[in-house]
Amino acid sequence: MAAQGPKDLRDLGKRLDEAQRKRAVAAKRPPPSQLGVAGRFATELVAALLVGGALGWGLDWAFGYFGIHTKPVFLIVLFVLGAVAGIRNVMRAASEINADIAAHPATSVNDDEES
Amino acid sequence: MAMNPMEQFTIKPIVPLHIGGYDVSFTNQSLFMVVVVMAAAAFLTFAMSGRRLVPSRVQSMAEMSYEFVAGMIDSSAGEEGLRFFPFVFTLFVFVLFCNFFGMVPWAFTVTSQIAVTFSLAALVILTVIVTGFAKHGIGFLKLFVPHAPLPLLFLLVPIEVISFLTRPISLSVRLFANMLAGHTMLAVFAGFVVLLGGAGGVLSVLSVAPMALIVAIMLLELLVAFLQAYVFAILTCIYLNEALHLHDHH
Repeated sequence: MAAQGPKDLRDLGKRLDEAQRKRAVAAKRPPPSQLGVAGRFATELVAALLVGGALGWGLDWAFGYFGIHTKPVFLIVLFVLGAVAGIRNVMRAASEINADIAAHPATSVNDDEES
Repeated sequence: MAMNPMEQFTIKPIVPLHIGGYDVSFTNQSLFMVVVVMAAAAFLTFAMSGRRLVPSRVQSMAEMSYEFVAGMIDSSAGEEGLRFFPFVFTLFVFVLFCNFFGMVPWAFTVTSQIAVTFSLAALVILTVIVTGFAKHGIGFLKLFVPHAPLPLLFLLVPIEVISFLTRPISLSVRLFANMLAGHTMLAVFAGFVVLLGGAGGVLSVLSVAPMALIVAIMLLELLVAFLQAYVFAILTCIYLNEALHLHDHH
């Protein structure tokens, strides 16, 4: 018993490690559902348009307050910039999702040694 | 039963209270926030009270949620991000419990209020900004300056600024919209059940169909409840990562 104790323990340790790793990976990543991805893109795009428009409107208002009439100029320019920022956001979100999938394929088991 | 599917989102004061002209009544919203916080605290305290080496079922649930969040921070914000573990864990557990409590019939869904989700998102963005300036000083503003020739920067910097300002909006709207849409959908189909059931004859039998659909949507909503809490937490980590490491990580 005493002679084979350490070997037994080592074996048990190895099996425990393996089981734990399998379980951790299974619990870790919910796969990005298509609905979720679509929702994320939509909010990114619309939010950027809103922020751009609101900033432009606010700048126009601020300039108007000091007697400089820029009325539609900032609104138009920043709305367009907002659209660009929205597309940029979507591209960034897409690359994040891609990196996520590449780093954690659903089937791979041995990809989180450091955690 | 109320036929208005949006009725469930109305905030009703329980203890009316006015201080200095502001309405600070204790509402059904506040009540459920208190319930959620107490439930989460009680669950975690109770689960860890045994402190057993071989965890019981409940303890291992608490430990798994710890490891889940720790792993999430580690993989997206690195070692340094782990300093923010208490913050991210609290956010995750709060949103998760709010979403799950909202699934209980007659319960009020706290996260279906834009005021709540936007407050959380604003807290996240403020933390990101404070962390960024604390770590990099004025150099944090380099976040808004991509690698590009100078003339292009006049165009790119405003775009980056808008893109940054988008974050609290998209973060809060995503959670709020998902919860609002899901619960409205449930209420609409529940209304169909009542309408068909009350119609009599063959139509009453047909009311089984929307009922079955409700069961399916309920399951979907449980998934969404978890997924949205996860998305909220992981995006917090990603934003913290940018504040900690600026450009060098992505």
